[in-house]
Amino acid sequence: MRELEYAKAIREALFQEMGADDQIVCFGEDIALYGGLWGATKGLQKEFGSERVFDTPISEAGIVGMGVGAALMGMKPVVELQFTGLITVAMDPIVNTAAKARYINNGSMNVPIVIRSITMSANNVYMGQSLEAWFTHVPGLKVVVPSSAYDVKGLMVAAINDPDPVVFFEHEGLYKSVGDVPEERYEIPFGKASVSKEGSDVTVVAWSKMLEEVENAASNLESQNISVEIIDPRTLVPFDFDTISKSVKKTGRLVIAHEAVKVGGFGGEIAARVSESEVSRYLKAPIVRVGNKGVPVPYSPELSKYVVPSAKDVELAVKTTMNVTKGNS
Amino acid sequence: MIDETVNNLSADDYKKMYSMMVTSRLFTQKVLELNKQGILKVGLHPSTGQEAIGIGACYGLSKDDWVIPSLRTMEAFWAKGVTVLEQLNAVIGNSGSISDGKESFHHCGYPELGIMAGSSIVGSQVPLAAGIGLSLKNKKTNNVVICFFGDGATGRGDFHEGLNLAAVLNLPVVFVCENNLYFQTVPASVGMAINDIADKAVGYGMPGVTVDGQDVLAVYDVVKEAVERARNGDGPTLIECKTLSFLGHYPTMLKLEDIRDIKENQKWRKRDPLEILEAYGEDRKYITSTDIELITKQVAKEIENAVEMAQQTPPTSRESAFKEIYKNPFGEI
Repeated sequence: MRELEYAKAIREALFQEMGADDQIVCFGEDIALYGGLWGATKGLQKEFGSERVFDTPISEAGIVGMGVGAALMGMKPVVELQFTGLITVAMDPIVNTAAKARYINNGSMNVPIVIRSITMSANNVYMGQSLEAWFTHVPGLKVVVPSSAYDVKGLMVAAINDPDPVVFFEHEGLYKSVGDVPEERYEIPFGKASVSKEGSDVTVVAWSKMLEEVENAASNLESQNISVEIIDPRTLVPFDFDTISKSVKKTGRLVIAHEAVKVGGFGGEIAARVSESEVSRYLKAPIVRVGNKGVPVPYSPELSKYVVPSAKDVELAVKTTMNVTKGNS
Repeated sequence: MIDETVNNLSADDYKKMYSMMVTSRLFTQKVLELNKQGILKVGLHPSTGQEAIGIGACYGLSKDDWVIPSLRTMEAFWAKGVTVLEQLNAVIGNSGSISDGKESFHHCGYPELGIMAGSSIVGSQVPLAAGIGLSLKNKKTNNVVICFFGDGATGRGDFHEGLNLAAVLNLPVVFVCENNLYFQTVPASVGMAINDIADKAVGYGMPGVTVDGQDVLAVYDVVKEAVERARNGDGPTLIECKTLSFLGHYPTMLKLEDIRDIKENQKWRKRDPLEILEAYGEDRKYITSTDIELITKQVAKEIENAVEMAQQTPPTSRESAFKEIYKNPFGEI
């Protein structure tokens, strides 16, 4: 199969969908003339014209608010908030307008907007934040966290065609990652996790860039005879609990890893879901979460390393679940 | 002001506008009265004193033109064709409400009538209107959107971003500010160092006009001109209507004397938009005192009937609360 970079996979999804549906428009900061800081929207304006693809002023609240207005009128805007740190400025139109419009209209209106935002996992106290959990807390939003070039294309196609507002988290550290991506259009349905590696001892759930770290940890652990099953939920809302449930019933151990701060992260929600369900009876060890320890992601790469969780942290967490069994911890 | 009006409204148009204004006045009275009596559990944010704005701005719009009412633009609903019963059901939030009880009347959307729901977050409708304008322009229609907001909204970032975007993209939006001189409990001077909100327009590169918000025909003229400009592809306009909310922010909770200068209020009440419109109609022989009596009676009867029917309308169902969060539900989040 053809190999493609993550950023180019996004671009291909946008090209293919925009070519098929003239209601799709793209706007945001630096997305048109320059083509996006990482090239995810490169060439779109040239292909589809400046009425459908255009640069905006630095107005995050305005970008999303205007996008929601256009979406309510039947357009399918794909808007970009260049970094997750900028999402804070647009919280009102996302949380109060986009997420509520269908509800207050009792279903007579749709908000088919895609809000793309970019996470960095290093070197910036603002842009280095992983804020996906915030949006899982707001009914009406869908939350997508793609980890590979293949997934990002299929999930972008699904996001564009979804009738509800989608917050789509891309990752700066993944833009250059390469994977097999079919040239033809395809869609990955929301709420379907992928089992990226099968294993028998411990289930590890991770998404976005954290998945890479988990995969590295898993191959290290393999050589120590610990078999890890890796699950990538791909979307946090809707969430595929069944796949995790089946896996944990098999392995009896669960580690959840994310770059986001551990406190209030989505890992806590997954742990709670497991402990509230019958799956908890299959647990041979307490659930372990891996996440940022509660520190802003610092500028210095040296310091960043200590804050953003890595393969080593995952390895340690897995070993903890292997050594500590229920009842004698 | 009235004599300078350039509109060419007929006696029939006049009566329709007058009837809408009476409807707003009596509807609000009735809801507040029923609330006082304990018959209605809910109150409303009254537009009393400001009725000229929504009527003057929206009268004559087509079904395919859009409006986003503010918290206090009840009149936009009448002008776009919402009935008294629909409004009352929406105020009550029963099963007859278009939102099925999910939102109060002022932020209910009627997509078939070109009414977009706003939100309780002051000013959030401004960039939303830019988005509607973007869509109308993109679809190559010559329709427009009128966005209503109060003076309080103009201090928010949304206002700035929405107006700037509309101007930069040359969108068919008419921004209508209901400048009622107060932000909830405090005078606008707490949040504004200028007197005329229309002055802000120059900073965005669009025309800005201040108009007497008590005079429905003056509002009609000014908005009509802005609507025409927007239809012709000449972009947005900011219109400021000077007015006062006679009953204050939310009379079921906040006493007028606690939040307003009563002397100022009395002075403004001498410029009641209903009386100004009556005087104009009688002067032009569009309406007689018999007509006024008849219209008032008809409206009062319509409201009485609506009250009776609304009281027979069942409450919204428990299931409704769980519906329409997503188009295709997927169970628990």
